[in-house]
Amino acid sequence: MKQNEGKIGIRDYMAIILLTLGSKISDDTPTLLYKTAKNSAWISMLGIALLSLIPILFLLKVFSVHRNKNLHEINVHLFGKVMGNLISMGVLLLGFSSFVLDTSVYVDIIGSMYFTRTPTLALYILMLVVCGYGAKRGIESIGSAAWLTLFYLKATLFLALIFAFTKGNLKFIFPLWGPGTLEIAKTTGSKLSIFADFYYLGIIAPLVSSFKEFRKGTLWAFAIVVVEITAALIIFVILFDFTSIEVISYPFHETILYLSIGFLSNVESMFLPFWLVAAFIRFSFYLYLVVTLFGGIFKIKEFEYLVPVFIVIVLFLGIMPKNLTYTLPYLREMILGILSPLFFILPILMWGMAKLRGDFKREAEQSH
Amino acid sequence: MFKVLKKLAGKKRNKRPVGSEDTLASQASTKDQSISYQIEDNIKQVKKIFHYPDNKDIKLRECKIGASEKRVAIFFISTITDVRTIEDSAIGPILKNKHPDATLKEIIATQNITHLSTMRDIVQNMNTGNAVIFIEGETSAYAFECANFQGRSVEKAENEVLIKGPKEAFTEKVVVNLSLIRKRIKNEDLMAESVTISTRSKNEVFILYIRNLANEKLVDNIKNRLKNLDVDAIQNLSLLEQYVEERPFSMFPSVLYSERPDRATSFLEDGHIILLMDNSPDSLIMPATFWSFFHTSDDHYLRFIFGNFARFIRAGAMFITIFISAIYIAVTTYHSEMIPADLLLAIAGSREKVPFPVFFEILLMEIAFELIREAGLRVPNPMGPTIGIVGALILGQAAVEANIISPIVIIVVALSGLTSFTISDVSLNFALRIIRFIFIFSAGLFGIFGMTSFFVMGIFYLTSLKSFGVPFLAPMSPHYVASGDTIFRRVLKNENLRPGYLKPKDMKKKSDEAVK
Repeated sequence: MKQNEGKIGIRDYMAIILLTLGSKISDDTPTLLYKTAKNSAWISMLGIALLSLIPILFLLKVFSVHRNKNLHEINVHLFGKVMGNLISMGVLLLGFSSFVLDTSVYVDIIGSMYFTRTPTLALYILMLVVCGYGAKRGIESIGSAAWLTLFYLKATLFLALIFAFTKGNLKFIFPLWGPGTLEIAKTTGSKLSIFADFYYLGIIAPLVSSFKEFRKGTLWAFAIVVVEITAALIIFVILFDFTSIEVISYPFHETILYLSIGFLSNVESMFLPFWLVAAFIRFSFYLYLVVTLFGGIFKIKEFEYLVPVFIVIVLFLGIMPKNLTYTLPYLREMILGILSPLFFILPILMWGMAKLRGDFKREAEQSH
Repeated sequence: MFKVLKKLAGKKRNKRPVGSEDTLASQASTKDQSISYQIEDNIKQVKKIFHYPDNKDIKLRECKIGASEKRVAIFFISTITDVRTIEDSAIGPILKNKHPDATLKEIIATQNITHLSTMRDIVQNMNTGNAVIFIEGETSAYAFECANFQGRSVEKAENEVLIKGPKEAFTEKVVVNLSLIRKRIKNEDLMAESVTISTRSKNEVFILYIRNLANEKLVDNIKNRLKNLDVDAIQNLSLLEQYVEERPFSMFPSVLYSERPDRATSFLEDGHIILLMDNSPDSLIMPATFWSFFHTSDDHYLRFIFGNFARFIRAGAMFITIFISAIYIAVTTYHSEMIPADLLLAIAGSREKVPFPVFFEILLMEIAFELIREAGLRVPNPMGPTIGIVGALILGQAAVEANIISPIVIIVVALSGLTSFTISDVSLNFALRIIRFIFIFSAGLFGIFGMTSFFVMGIFYLTSLKSFGVPFLAPMSPHYVASGDTIFRRVLKNENLRPGYLKPKDMKKKSDEAVK
């Protein structure tokens, strides 16, 4: 009695987006924004959101006519076999490298903030094993896990942000335009790829129970995530002010270190498990995306068996860079720099090709 | 490596053949005979099959019908029949009969009498407690029901105790159990089909479902699974459970086991399927979700607020029993900065003289607790209190005074042990106790990071489980239309839907007008 046939509902889908994108505030993404946009990072965030809306809408338009195809199949369909595979391969390579970088950032956070004496390698292995297990269990499992834990994760995050807000000084957000509109615009342009995840979500588009739910879920989750990240960016600034926030690698963790609730003076270890759960689910999902895309390109049907291989490769690549604190932000910025224009241009290109091929017309004819 | 070992083990087994006489087949072949015209032959045949004089409780009564003087032989097994019925309604009327033309059906005064034409039927009837009658000059036999298997009467439920609501529990007699359920569902669509599941002992399982509610595919699936069993004997439902479950190595059960007829009935009414069997004072309910193991019938018998309060306490207890020992280890060894300074000093002070690391201390106490628990269960009744005193006194106070254990560890372990009793389901209870130990190890190795890792893996595992096609955590995730009875329940009036994950034929339990 198969009931679901491997599809996920809108709840699970939204929960995945909220966890994967929402947890960006807790890694070094805010720092990258603060570095150039200073205290008006939140304005640049809104700019990024507005600008990201364009490729997302184009993507949704393209997906609306190819409901049973995933990102790779659409690429092949639109750009032909050679170009499509090349584009997918590039996308895979970028996705994979950012997965490696993201995991090593997280391991760095855990190692430097909480487990200073545990060897990084051990932390890395354990983390990848958990994520590999999640990825192997499949999208249904990841979606369910995300939905089950979403409320508790967001509630604790909200609590932390509220407490931080009461400690902060609202005057720190002024001058409103910070380093000037030009700098903000530059940041907006170069860090657009914060939302590049939405492009990768196309890989699981046919796995969402219906396209209607896919569109609704994507847009709602996008709105919520934008509000969440913007609020967090404001709160970090009013807590630390822009001079110190530039040198803090992981503002979220500094924030919970800074907090004290009632008789508890150190609460960071209380927030740690919640943040970790979010991280595990997030990376399980990323790993699932990478492996699915890889399986799609190389036509491997039972791609779940690739997971162990990928874990080992990620592990070796992830522990390679020496002196993480300095190299990681540099590499991250490089990847973001490459992804930003791609994220903006690719969907538009896809839409253009679909238009040229007359896919939209055919759809319109079919619906009449 | 594993495969190689398996191969080696397999080869060894092949070399030493076991006694492979198929006694079952030879037993069956003796029964493949028809009934003879000569009553002498029939009597001889039955005597041979049942090893008549050696088998002490096989009884034979030979007599003649009063008027027609025809010879009659009555066979029965005295230990499983009601001898009074045989005397009063068969032997008596036969001897006193005055009409020479009367057939046997007219003479015998029992509720039913069946016509048998093969030895196989005769043997089966006798084995199920019926009496078999042969008549001179007829090539068929007759059987009538007079089974009387011994068993206890309906008693109070012992493992699933309630404050409010019915107290009776299933017994070892399936007829009684069926009657307890029929008493609650007076509907002709309540089906009680039977399947014989074992070849040697002929154990019979009753499959109960409501025909116009339960999903047909599910019913067929379970029936097929039962029919495909090829075993000599399955004594009771606890053993059958292990034959039909999908994941024998899993920590989590996939079939719910309940001794309460009211609970079984409420699942039947939702479209679940129930198995009953002789010799089992319980029922198997399938498919089962995580929530069905977490719930008790009390939650619904108590009023909305009280029931949910009980659920809240139970959820908290479940959290405590799994995590508290592990949290204590993680916090004291890896995250001591999160304990308020005064408490930290108190813990350090109490541990001053204890030579072991916290991890070892906790492990020691947890194992001791499990020992007391297992010993307490097996101990003969009169010695029960002694074990409690010895356990509490020796292992608690004396261990502290001997500086083996710090007093805080006693509190922690006592708490984790006490709270484990709030989960009344045996299977889930065991699962939680084992999971607790895994968390203790992960906390000892990696602190909160290790615990969270294992927790997330557990969530992934739970979300991928299925019991007869139903996701283990349904209807919470993946979402299904249902009454929303998961951690908390709704007001009874608003629980008007059957669980959607069962795909019942009728989703609605109550009409909207009935609610208002």
